[in-house]
Amino acid sequence: MSEPRGVPAAAAAPGAVLDLEPRARRGPHRLLLFGNPNTGKTTLFNRLCGLRAKTANFPGTTSDLRVGRMTIGAGEEAESAEVVDLPGLYSLRLDLPESRVAARALAGAEGDAPAAAIVVADATNLPRHLMLVGELRASGVPLVVALNMIDLAHRRGLSFDLARLSGALGAPVVAVSARSGEGVDRLVRAVRAVVGGVRIPASVAAPATDQAALEAWAEELVAASVGGARALGAGSDTLTDRLDETFTHPVAGFLIFHLVMAALFWTIFALATVPMDLIDATFAHLGGALESVLPAGDVRDLVVGGLIGGVSGTVVFLPQIALLFFLITLLEDTGYLARAAFVMDRLLCRFGLPGYAFVPLLSAHACAIPAILSTRLIPDRHDRIATILVAPFMSCSARLPVYVLLTSFLFLDRPVLAGLAFAGCYVLGAVAAFGSALIARRTVLPGASRPMVLELPSYKWPSLRVAAANAFEQAWAFLRTAGTVILVICFVMWWLSAYPKAPPPAPALALERQAAELAASAPERAAALGDEAARLVARHQQESSFAARLGRLAEPVFAPLGYDWRLTMGVMSSFAAREVFVSTVAVLAGAGEDAAEPGIVARLRRATRDDGTPLLTTATAVSLLVFFVLAMQCLSTTVTVHRETRSWRWPALQFVWMSGLAWVGAFAAYRGLHALGVS
Amino acid sequence: MAESYGSPGGGGRRPATPAPEPHLERLSDQAPGRIVRLRRRELSEGEACLLAAMGLSVGCRLVVRAAGDPCIVEVRSTRIGLARAVAERLLVHDEPAGRP
Repeated sequence: MSEPRGVPAAAAAPGAVLDLEPRARRGPHRLLLFGNPNTGKTTLFNRLCGLRAKTANFPGTTSDLRVGRMTIGAGEEAESAEVVDLPGLYSLRLDLPESRVAARALAGAEGDAPAAAIVVADATNLPRHLMLVGELRASGVPLVVALNMIDLAHRRGLSFDLARLSGALGAPVVAVSARSGEGVDRLVRAVRAVVGGVRIPASVAAPATDQAALEAWAEELVAASVGGARALGAGSDTLTDRLDETFTHPVAGFLIFHLVMAALFWTIFALATVPMDLIDATFAHLGGALESVLPAGDVRDLVVGGLIGGVSGTVVFLPQIALLFFLITLLEDTGYLARAAFVMDRLLCRFGLPGYAFVPLLSAHACAIPAILSTRLIPDRHDRIATILVAPFMSCSARLPVYVLLTSFLFLDRPVLAGLAFAGCYVLGAVAAFGSALIARRTVLPGASRPMVLELPSYKWPSLRVAAANAFEQAWAFLRTAGTVILVICFVMWWLSAYPKAPPPAPALALERQAAELAASAPERAAALGDEAARLVARHQQESSFAARLGRLAEPVFAPLGYDWRLTMGVMSSFAAREVFVSTVAVLAGAGEDAAEPGIVARLRRATRDDGTPLLTTATAVSLLVFFVLAMQCLSTTVTVHRETRSWRWPALQFVWMSGLAWVGAFAAYRGLHALGVS
Repeated sequence: MAESYGSPGGGGRRPATPAPEPHLERLSDQAPGRIVRLRRRELSEGEACLLAAMGLSVGCRLVVRAAGDPCIVEVRSTRIGLARAVAERLLVHDEPAGRP
């Protein structure tokens, strides 16, 4: 038996033969990662590639292709391979997006033909998972089967004749535990051998791909190679039954769900305070240090007031965002969220949304974009579009900075009231989402939602490692946004507010003259007059700036909501991305003040309009809160909606509906508070 | 067989479930712990294919783990939750434990 270069003899199984025909390829070997939902496929992907892809316990959450790199072989023979993490799927033949994506990847439609497919099969439920292996055998692509959750299978008393199974399938079968890493080295060696051309002759013919034949073939293989399988109905899992009964109970399940969600958000705000204060103080010190080092002028204003002031206003919320993703991933990992989906199904179906919408709507509390992508798991098109239309109403992490800023402004030193107002924002978003869904299902998307069918994963202790990795990935993505988009917008906003340069106003010149005259006799009075003159110069400069002109142009639209040109600019700049509001207002409200002063809330409290009245009042702050809860202010989400619906009709409808509702809601809040005597 | 789960206009599902044949019962009517064999699915083709791929194919044996909404069944070591509207459209007959 000859051996192609780089294939270790030890990797070739007994009886293996070699496929000496080299496969033409342009880049590294392409490996496709297949598996049913809930097989630990993405955890294995992370193990193989060291990448931090999101792991979900919920079918379909891995809805986009993720590509990573792994090294196969060692030393001089080491080669790089590209691993494509395909969406979890039950069958290639289903008329579902994930099945179509997988079939295209298998056929090499997305680039190079695959060198091999790694099929992740759940060792505790082999018959169903082998059916996918049977379908893949028909493709002719070399296979490697990763028998995952082997530790759990052993605990359940299952035993496997891997050699027999491998021979029957004509592919290496490697027992692994993606969570602990057990067996992953063996899997990599098997992949190396298969990519190198080693083949195992199949002792059992490939099945026909119809359902009955696949089932019979899989059952037969399992009967011959798996020991210890218990008969159906023998030995019920009492704990799982009880937990399922409790978590899906109409009353208890509903209460538990709300307790879990309340605990989730309480934990986020309780734990995030310390790191947030730390970040705030760090930026304040940095701003102060740079202000003392840099000479006065445009560069110092740009760096201290524009860039540091703007970016810090957003980055300070990093701990909350990381915690949100960490806790949601932990919940997914326990298996609880799939049960909670049924609790929510009973509620959601009243509004024409399917229970499948639960995970996208929950994910939307972190970010609408992954939420919209995860709607691909919803089988019915009308159900899916309805979910896409309303998902951005859910309060995403980008709104957090605005909520924190405005609730802190409204209820300074009254954390309980601030917390209630914060929770009210989430409730308002959810109410708007459900109400909008109901209207959509009675108008543009007629029909009732499709009832839910969902695999319920086993309960297990969540993996802190997986949750931490996901939180890190999302936090890093947020920082990249802060370091690019927000930085650019901060620069643009600073430029718009700093130019064109205006000459100092006459009152400021008069004050400067007075200050000069008093410099020797009353230095303290002179300094105060000088500060006042500087404040007048800065305010005059801002009022003459491009930002002021743009804000005044759009001000008539937002004036009924209580916004002056500064707040109008803040709202308008937020149509690209919501979180920009804080940095924009930080920049605009910082003019004439000490931009390095810690605490944007303090700055906002002191900020005034052109007529000297406060920039923010209670009514204006509430109006802004309502506007930000309801408005569609995220270009990335709009583009994603277009891509997912393959139409501009839906994103346009979404933008007009949400923004219109936001305007009406903010107007009602502002005028309503005025009518109640609250200004 | 294509079918709808309610009248247009949303606001909940009102399935018009057909009367089962005399020897068949609805899965939604089964008590927890019963072992049954799936005999018919009164579902659209797409839904039926998805159920089959998840393991709920005609002829399979399953054990009812929880009744109600959702109805939770176990088939080949997999737990599957079914909304009541789906469970009402799966017709089963009693299957003694121990039979293959």
